[in-house]
Amino acid sequence: MQVQELVGIIPWTFVAQICNLFIQMYLIKRFLFKPVHEILEKRRAAADAEIIQAEETKAKAEAIRAEYERNMQDARQKANEILDSARNTAAIQSEKILKEAQDQTFAMKNKAEKEIAQEKKKAVNEVKGEIGDMAVEIAGKVIEREINEKDHEKLIDEFISNVGEVS
Amino acid sequence: MEVDISGAKVFFTTPIDVPLLGELQISETLIVSWIVMALITGICFWLTRGLKVRNISKKQAAAEWIVETADKFVLGNMGEKFRYLIPFVSALFATSVVSNLISLIGLRSPTADLSTEAAWAVVVFTMITAQKIKTNGVGGYLKGFTTPIPVMTPFNILSELATPISMACRHFGNILSGVVINALIYGALALASRKLLGLIPGAVGNVLSQIPVLDVGIPAVLSVYFDWFSGVMQAFIFCMLTVMYIANAAEE
Repeated sequence: MQVQELVGIIPWTFVAQICNLFIQMYLIKRFLFKPVHEILEKRRAAADAEIIQAEETKAKAEAIRAEYERNMQDARQKANEILDSARNTAAIQSEKILKEAQDQTFAMKNKAEKEIAQEKKKAVNEVKGEIGDMAVEIAGKVIEREINEKDHEKLIDEFISNVGEVS
Repeated sequence: MEVDISGAKVFFTTPIDVPLLGELQISETLIVSWIVMALITGICFWLTRGLKVRNISKKQAAAEWIVETADKFVLGNMGEKFRYLIPFVSALFATSVVSNLISLIGLRSPTADLSTEAAWAVVVFTMITAQKIKTNGVGGYLKGFTTPIPVMTPFNILSELATPISMACRHFGNILSGVVINALIYGALALASRKLLGLIPGAVGNVLSQIPVLDVGIPAVLSVYFDWFSGVMQAFIFCMLTVMYIANAAEE
């Protein structure tokens, strides 16, 4: 078989190898670099989109949190208001009740005192009546029998002691 | 025992005969070059099947690693404006490596033919020159030869021409030396095994001495340097020089 020189430049081979190099360049570009760069670009875009989305979500969450905090504060304030007003109402009411009770006791005491006084008066009147009766009785007895001095004295003592007992 | 080291075989000669270029001969170099190209393109095609954005396979990771390494190599050494050169440098490196290593499966490396390296070097030289003219203008480019003093002009021209020649010959020399040394070692080991087994008396010795037993295994150790190391190294050097020369040419 015919062989070429060991060290030498064969023009056709030379030209063909230049063409081969450029064809190879195109093939590598078309079949390796283009698809891989495309996929890398796609991945980059996807990562970017995800970051943007995450940022949006974070902003939204932040807004929700702020709103929640505001609501919480409102609620706390309202609760405090309610509590305050309840406390006030309770204080006013208890004062009122106390005053009423005091008034009532006072009235009751007055009434009782009045009644006692009345009773006393009544009793005194009764005693007075009884004394009259006794005087009449004694007078009757004096008239009925003879009274000696000793009896007389006794009668008076009796009368006085009776009066003391009644009053 | 003869050791035959020759140029690329010519499979057939076409009737195309152009003046200056001579007859178009389909040589071993061309055939193996096409095999190499098919191999590279096939690997590229296979690597980029079923690319996904998420949850990538090992194959895709390898493809992405290759692309990113090529990008980094070119952009790191030359800068962002030479992005268009990435496929060229990658093609140069891939073709060179696969051509160098294809000798491992018994084919003759296309890079063991000076025509191949000369073709690449001339392309690179054209790019360097184009870049120089683009940067400095034609006048600036020509004026560059007279620096630092006009007397240096012939030497400057020589050194300019030495660039592609040295690039081509460096690569070619390394690969050819591998081919030559491999052929010598195979021949020598076959001879040694024939003599060694020939010591066995009788017909057994005659039969066994025809089998080059020592050719099994031992050359593989040497091919670690002459094929693997030298092959990858020369491809890398060629690409590195390409990148460096063009980047230098772009500097004001």
